[in-house]
Amino acid sequence: MPQLRSVADPREPSRAPYLVKLAANAAVLALTFAAVANAQAPQPQTPTADPTPEVVNPRLMFREVVDETGRTVRIAQPVRRIVSLAPNITETLYALGLQDLLAGDTDYCDYPAAAKLKPKVGGAINPSLESIVNLHPDLVLVTKSLNRLETVRSLDHLGIPSYATDPHTVQDIISSMERLAEMLGAQQTGATLGQEMERQLAQIEQRIAPMPTARVLFVVWREPLISVGTGTFIADALRVAGAKSIVDSTQSWPQVNLEEVVRQQPDFLVFAESHPPSSTPESLDVLADLPGWRILTAVQNRRYAIVSDAVDRPSPSIVSAIENLARQLHPEAFEEKPLPAAKPDSPTAPENPAPPASSPSASRLLACAAAKPQDRACAL
Amino acid sequence: MRPLTLRLVLLRCLTLAGVLVVVVIVALKLGAVQVSLYGLTRDLLQVFLHHASSLSSNYGMIVLDIRLPRILLAIVVGASLAVAGTSFQALLRNPLADPYVLGVSSGAALGAIVALIAEPRLALPASVAALFTPLGAFLGALATIAAVYFLGRREGQIDSGTLLLAGIITASFLSAVIMFLMTTLTGRDLRGTAFWLMGDLSSSLQPSLRWVLGVGFVIASATIYASAADLNLLLSGEKEAMHLGVDVPRVRLVVYVAASVLTGLAVSVSGAIGYVGLLVPHVMRLLFGSDHRILLPTAAFGGAIAVVIADTLARTVVAPAELPVGAMTAMAGAPLFIYLLRRRMA
Repeated sequence: MPQLRSVADPREPSRAPYLVKLAANAAVLALTFAAVANAQAPQPQTPTADPTPEVVNPRLMFREVVDETGRTVRIAQPVRRIVSLAPNITETLYALGLQDLLAGDTDYCDYPAAAKLKPKVGGAINPSLESIVNLHPDLVLVTKSLNRLETVRSLDHLGIPSYATDPHTVQDIISSMERLAEMLGAQQTGATLGQEMERQLAQIEQRIAPMPTARVLFVVWREPLISVGTGTFIADALRVAGAKSIVDSTQSWPQVNLEEVVRQQPDFLVFAESHPPSSTPESLDVLADLPGWRILTAVQNRRYAIVSDAVDRPSPSIVSAIENLARQLHPEAFEEKPLPAAKPDSPTAPENPAPPASSPSASRLLACAAAKPQDRACAL
Repeated sequence: MRPLTLRLVLLRCLTLAGVLVVVVIVALKLGAVQVSLYGLTRDLLQVFLHHASSLSSNYGMIVLDIRLPRILLAIVVGASLAVAGTSFQALLRNPLADPYVLGVSSGAALGAIVALIAEPRLALPASVAALFTPLGAFLGALATIAAVYFLGRREGQIDSGTLLLAGIITASFLSAVIMFLMTTLTGRDLRGTAFWLMGDLSSSLQPSLRWVLGVGFVIASATIYASAADLNLLLSGEKEAMHLGVDVPRVRLVVYVAASVLTGLAVSVSGAIGYVGLLVPHVMRLLFGSDHRILLPTAAFGGAIAVVIADTLARTVVAPAELPVGAMTAMAGAPLFIYLLRRRMA
């Protein structure tokens, strides 16, 4: 399978036309020059400018960490002002109760709702460096699959440390969150949240263990048909939910041939809620008349699973998306009486989000993870 | 130039039709699922004899429900682009003119992207929503063509140079708007919208859309062909054509609108597939001369052959994944164009 992008390309593997990328690169380049010019001025970010002399030992004021892309980053301790350049990181910070440290985020950071009120620095792919500098962060958090290397380089030129996460599996999402928590001084909260996520995942695993693996097609985009490759966290989330993607590609977002899908005849088609055109059960009715699609047994039997958009974000709420998907793919597994460890809610009714509590962090997770509870299994 | 006879036109068209049939058979055979020629013939015969319901094999279904419609789409799109390209080259008397030179593809892409953004907010019934994006692309294409037409007029007359410049500037303006919209969309939306700029034939068309496309192609092509002789005279110059009794403004308007409709239809179902409309007319001119009465039909066949081959490669080279067909035509088209250019200069 030829890789259309270079492996080191940190950007989201968008299928943006070359010209668009070129123009965007040119814009970043221009900004970088501006940044270099700026660097001659006094450093905008002098972590020693912190007036509170609470750190007695100056050697403890900085800490060198290696981020998930292997870069060594020098981070002020404690971290006081964070700019998040990815929705999943913003969400993770809220789940960790660290929202007060969040000085700014991107236009796409819409979850939880409070994140919309934070100062915005633009999009994830094209954030405004000026706005970031203006927020005086002592740490910028990025994620490799969404943000661009150019942004990180420009931040380096400005002397603003940036830390990148790069989760490829559900386990990565948990460990990545725990590492972030530890770095930001919320080690305990992170560990609790991690344990809670592990517990819920173990519960799902236990329920679906006797079930046969469902063969699914995860539809990222319908025309043209784009799905997920084997190396993505979505493919891993499918596995945890008792499913396996029929697409065997090393590309992150491969365009898939419909013939191949018909040959493989997946048991289920999986859509994310906001997939355009919007994935409501009614809007999927058109598939039944569409040449090619109509010869899929999954379409003929209306075996569609619609999961919340949380499945798109490598953040703690992925657990709720996984459970939601598992319930739709394996309803029988969730029909029997709840497991001893499970909460005594009715097995088919969606969970109610727990009210946001200040502590303990496990309930924060629930508030976060049970974001869009839904049980819209269209399966027969 | 040998005198053109109906026999000569038919002979050449039949030759090209034969090539097209061979290409289509090969294209039908290749793909993610292997089929035998025998099975293929049997299945096709059954369909022609209206026994489609008796088809049980999954593989026959794949060929008939996915591969054949896609090949037919490639034929119509390729023929539309080549005929439109031939018309624009004659109309603008510019060898670099192609169906997209007047900004149609950018207009269609913008229309499609606007439709994609607006669709979830409008709560349309599902049957309408499915047609919404191609409709947006088609309207975007036609609006662009109309705008360029009015911008390209001088003293009430169409002026080739002004029209071309108006088209290029409009295209660049629309590209800027597209870029703006795309950077403000999330990455997820980006992947789908880019399709309109790269060309792709993998979309399953609603059966109703197939009829619109087919009928539109026949009517628009026939309209252009009716003006084929006038286009020949136009090539020798506007004044000369006028003196020879050609109603130049009328021919221009008719051919311009028909070629625009062809381009708009093609781009609204396939995105912008580059180089076909530019190169095929040149190749056909080299092979069969520049008489439009023969150039137009041969270009239609040539465009169909080119796009079927390109799309077959696009869906088989990296199977089971796919490449955008626009990437295939550009990779083959650009070097071929350079070759033709150097040959002409030598």
